[in-house]
Amino acid sequence: MKSRLSKKDNLPLGLSALNILLLVLVVVLMGLPMLNVLAVSLSTQAKSDAPGLVLLPTPPTFEGYTFIWKHTNLPRPFFNTVYVSVVGTVLHVLMASLAGYILCQNKLPFRKAMTTFILLTMTVPYELTMIGIYAVNRDLGLTNTYAGLIINGMVSGFSVFLMRNYFQAIPLSLAESARIDGSGEWRIFSSIYLRLSVSGLMTIGTLELIRRWNNITMTITLISDMKKWTLPVVLRFILFDQTSTSGTSYIFANAKMAAVVMTALPLVVLYFFTQSFFSSGIMIGSVKE
Amino acid sequence: MVYCLCTEGAHWRRTLHRVYTSEPGSSMNKALGRQLKKYRIFYLMFLPVAVYFIIFSYYPFLRGLIMSFQENRLLGNRPFAGLANYKFVLKDSNFLSAVTNSLIIGLWDMVLYFFFSLGFALILNELVHRTVKQTIQTIAYIPYLFSWAVIGGVWVLIFDLQGLVNQFLSIFGTEPIFFLATPDYARPLIIAMGVWRSMGYFALLFTVAIMNIEGQLYEAARIDGASRFMQIRKIILPSLIPTMKTIIVLLSIGVLTHFDEIYVMVNPANRRLISTLLLFVYETGILNFQTGTASAGATLVMAGTLLITGLMRKFIGYDKE
Repeated sequence: MKSRLSKKDNLPLGLSALNILLLVLVVVLMGLPMLNVLAVSLSTQAKSDAPGLVLLPTPPTFEGYTFIWKHTNLPRPFFNTVYVSVVGTVLHVLMASLAGYILCQNKLPFRKAMTTFILLTMTVPYELTMIGIYAVNRDLGLTNTYAGLIINGMVSGFSVFLMRNYFQAIPLSLAESARIDGSGEWRIFSSIYLRLSVSGLMTIGTLELIRRWNNITMTITLISDMKKWTLPVVLRFILFDQTSTSGTSYIFANAKMAAVVMTALPLVVLYFFTQSFFSSGIMIGSVKE
Repeated sequence: MVYCLCTEGAHWRRTLHRVYTSEPGSSMNKALGRQLKKYRIFYLMFLPVAVYFIIFSYYPFLRGLIMSFQENRLLGNRPFAGLANYKFVLKDSNFLSAVTNSLIIGLWDMVLYFFFSLGFALILNELVHRTVKQTIQTIAYIPYLFSWAVIGGVWVLIFDLQGLVNQFLSIFGTEPIFFLATPDYARPLIIAMGVWRSMGYFALLFTVAIMNIEGQLYEAARIDGASRFMQIRKIILPSLIPTMKTIIVLLSIGVLTHFDEIYVMVNPANRRLISTLLLFVYETGILNFQTGTASAGATLVMAGTLLITGLMRKFIGYDKE
């Protein structure tokens, strides 16, 4: 048990002051750039390009957002990203929990071998096999398709083991009594295990959604057709290589930052809704080894 | 029925052993058959997962390995090329400069991620106020949610000629610096990007470990008259050693795999200084279709990662406990 008393000790005054000073510095270094981006994105075109620091947009305007939304055809990559991320995440959660359920059947013959089989896939980061991934996907006709982006990463060792750890906390007697009542494995899996591990499902779902939303490597490996690009890849072009996305018009800082916010904001919102699951996921993940 | 399931299952190992050592067609073989039949549904459920990993994880790995010994050809039959790709890559100046860049960026990132996140977790832990603590933690964690392209956008804005950083420096009378186009700042900017994005995440791992420390330890220390500073040194830091080791191993796997941030930030001015190994692999293999050369490069990166991770594990005594 953690003791409340443990917090009673404080650093000596000098160190304590230094400590607070450092924390203020961290908050400024982390927070100010984000605030700056948000403020510029909400400023007028003229103000965003004028010298001087913008930390409060006065008056706030959505000029930058409407400009970037229309002029660079942003809806397309935006909905590409939503589609690929959401469908991919749903499949990922299903597959990972299925595998996790199988791996927690501790009397299953060859379970050790199956565990090792999945564990081995975690040893090599997938970025290192991108040439092989490209070749295999091309042979299967998956390059330049949404299906390719959805299928690659459909399950991961990390999520499987996270789900297995969640499932192991569920007493085996529950499944056994369901078996006596004549329930099949699919039913036990879906109506006992899945239902009791909602926080686990939310954790791997959130992590996977973030991973997919942000993914650059897989998109540029598999997709050369710009129409099928996802938001981060298009954002990179908006920021650095504007001629290829916007044609002739110059993109002002407020519009660029609007694109940055549009790529980032959905994840911040998601994070605040799933924050409680998040920390439990990290706990369980860290207990693993 | 359920009872059978448990007791018989418990003996599957022994059964298997007997099966392997007995003659074919014996009753033991039938016992294994019964076992497998009973669990048939699980194997069936496992099938999609297994098929996925074989096609999209194991096979691409093997495929890359094979391609590294074949000539640069994407279609048709690829003649065996022996070690030619490896010899070529090891003489390629682009590859060699990528090795230097990767090591510099990767090792700096590893060291800075580690010490910054540990330091941040420690000073954050000294705050008594819960809500303030959590707010600071959230602010520091948020950048980790973002794509590297978003971080790139933040960098473009704050390191602009009129940006936040130059505004700050102008207080001290410094002339505006065009950070993004000055080669001297290319590497520090990339390294700082990584620290800015990841510090909060790794600090959270440390914070979780600090929260798991038993309260009694502090109490015992207090009875012995240990100051808070001594408690940090003698209780918190030693308790964090397992977490530190895990994080170091995690980080050393990542030393040579920096890619997204480089892909986002690379431009003609900084290419020479920040182009990393994976960017070399991507540009050679995916953009220029030199698949043999790229796969040989990728295989060398794998070997390098194995070496770095192995050395780090040995150095910190990861496998001792």
